[in-house]
Amino acid sequence: MRFAKLILKNVLRNKLRTLLTVSSLVVSLFLIVTLGTILTEFERGSKEGNPSRLMTRHSVSLAFLLPIGDLQRIQAVQGVKAVMPFTWFGGIYKDERNFFANFAVDAKKMREIYPEVKMTDAEWQAFAADRQGAVVGKKLAVMYGFTPGQRITLKSPIYNQDVEFIVRGIYSGNDEKTLFFHHEYLNELVASAGADWAKDKAGIFAALANTPEDVPRISQEIDAMFVNTDAPTKSESEREFAASFEAMMGGVKKFLYGIMAAITFSLLLVMGNTMAMTVRERTKEVGTLKAIGFKRYTIAGLFLGESILVSVVGAAIGIGAAVLLYRSVDMSYYIPNFVSFKPEPETVIAAFVLSLIVGIVSVGYSTYRVTGLTIAQALRSTE
Amino acid sequence: MALPIKYNLRNLVVRKGSTLATAFTIGLTVAVFLMVMALARGIDLTLSSSGEPLNLIVVREGSTAELNSSVSREQFNDLRYLDGVVKEGDQPLATAEIITLIYKPRKGMSQGSNVMVRGVGPMSFKLHSGFQVVQGRTFQAGLTEAVVSKRISERFQGLDVGDKFRIQTTDYTVVGLFETGGKAFESEIWVDVNSLASTTNRETFSSVLLRVNDANALSALSKRITDDPKLHLKAVSERTFYEDQQGVASGALKVLAGFITFIMAVGAGFAGMNTMYAAVARRTKEIGTLRVLGFGRMSILIAFLLESMVVALLGVVIGVLLAMPLNFVSTGTSNWTNFSEIAFNFKVTFDLILIAFIFGAMIGFVGSLLPSIRAARLRIVEALRA
Repeated sequence: MRFAKLILKNVLRNKLRTLLTVSSLVVSLFLIVTLGTILTEFERGSKEGNPSRLMTRHSVSLAFLLPIGDLQRIQAVQGVKAVMPFTWFGGIYKDERNFFANFAVDAKKMREIYPEVKMTDAEWQAFAADRQGAVVGKKLAVMYGFTPGQRITLKSPIYNQDVEFIVRGIYSGNDEKTLFFHHEYLNELVASAGADWAKDKAGIFAALANTPEDVPRISQEIDAMFVNTDAPTKSESEREFAASFEAMMGGVKKFLYGIMAAITFSLLLVMGNTMAMTVRERTKEVGTLKAIGFKRYTIAGLFLGESILVSVVGAAIGIGAAVLLYRSVDMSYYIPNFVSFKPEPETVIAAFVLSLIVGIVSVGYSTYRVTGLTIAQALRSTE
Repeated sequence: MALPIKYNLRNLVVRKGSTLATAFTIGLTVAVFLMVMALARGIDLTLSSSGEPLNLIVVREGSTAELNSSVSREQFNDLRYLDGVVKEGDQPLATAEIITLIYKPRKGMSQGSNVMVRGVGPMSFKLHSGFQVVQGRTFQAGLTEAVVSKRISERFQGLDVGDKFRIQTTDYTVVGLFETGGKAFESEIWVDVNSLASTTNRETFSSVLLRVNDANALSALSKRITDDPKLHLKAVSERTFYEDQQGVASGALKVLAGFITFIMAVGAGFAGMNTMYAAVARRTKEIGTLRVLGFGRMSILIAFLLESMVVALLGVVIGVLLAMPLNFVSTGTSNWTNFSEIAFNFKVTFDLILIAFIFGAMIGFVGSLLPSIRAARLRIVEALRA
């Protein structure tokens, strides 16, 4: 710390250069935090799903539906607290660009199976009492101006019908971009649309187990029960279920990591180049310092300190800007399929560590070379 | 009087470390741009090449994809004998197909994705051109046999020749692998349509495909089917049908490409500026000398701008070289229209490379403008005294 002042003076010696380097760091780290957050959001479902919840679907794929009668048999499995149908509706609000998920559920059991979905008692009752009722997430309400009592129409490409719902509640929770409505109402639609293939069927059964430890056993028991029927099932915890959707993204995740690596490497080049220029220009000074008795390691430490200071300042601004921006503006309003956009502490720490490494590595070689010169060599330098 | 370009090139060689570092920074920016755009382009080209210009696809009105469409057997019979459908001998060139999905784990993973299974008839092979069995044989009509696209077989578990997979309660045996010249069908499994209908207890088809003679016949027939109030069907050119699926996946990628490259370009621009300012500072005396020799401010400005443009273009070349091998990389993601896997190649196309050059040149220009102006504005006496 004796040299803190000297390091600071050195950093500020070429203000324009420092400013440009710091700016380069700021934008790169902003980008790294942004991409890291996109990756977190891709994986949020499989990390934060309720460990006591399990999902049962047709073992071939979600394109096949399950008989609604399976529900009673699942309910009877030991350790199952509650179970309800959970069927993808795929309704479109006005325009395909307004995509949001909508599911048919059992309004009475939903509160128990999805305790994180929060509404007032009055809203739950209003939802349960209205056959045509629907509840929407807070974010959907903000995005489309949904208010309780409002009638909204969703166009269903699956059943080829325009379906009217009445908003009965606005819930808060982890995913506030979904609409839920009554499975009974879906059954009526199926009948009026003449969609016999969907009659008395559910896409998924969502169940709540007594404890997370029960989930694997319950899953096995359910699947064993239906293995020789026309509709064999695949049951798994909600987290695994979410992971299976995440895996549908395929190469995209790996691809984002690749981009982050490219940004880091590019940052290393920028910093490395700047620090190499800085160190080389001071070759003569290194000679002087050595001549008045400074040890090689002290001089190297000065350079290292300078590099780390620059990278840490740049990182702090870049990361800080990203965190502040994404805290104050929730990007999930603008990105379809994203239910939140929150930089996680892990991302922030990783980005910070990355910038430290960049700071250390980028100054390494030039420092090693220049501080290794003899006094005479250094003083004779023409830099 | 302009400075010879050799002067710039020699200068770049003298500070080769710095030149390369700056060029690589621009190169990486260009490479990332090309990577993301090549991914989007790969999806787009796969989908746009899938539809044949003279094929008309018929789905239920209101359907956004074959998966949620249905066309009855009676409707199919009416459709195939409509005026304007090409005949081969006495048989109309028309086919009805069934689509379903099966969930398969990816190779080396426990999780996977939905793969589209298409039930096809004998005419399907004539309507979808380019079908070619590359291993084994094609399925026999009436049997529970399947041909799997080579790409899908490479990406998912249990879909090699000889493997079995289950739909409902029926096991299908993979008897061959096929290719279709890069189309979306290379993300599918093909089985006999009648066998799939009985396996899935389906009475209706997902879609009907009709071949017409020319573009006029296509629009006339499409209008006739879509406007028929009794049919409740929608007929569009197969090409449009596939092109309309592009938006979802590749649109997001293009936005991402724009966002990432803009920020990376700003970073690269700052880095380039740094290098050029250092170059100008180091060469102050030299600039003074050049001015004494009679080179004007303009010549100095142009010389420095040119110098950094050379670095930028070198960067673009590096970036393009880094991205080119992607043309041989095959990958896959979800086509959200059908909730199923779409396998495709990255496509670093000529127009993308052209954009990369313009883009790189812009980074070079913007990054060096201010340092070059500083060089040009140096006063001779002060420069020489530096």
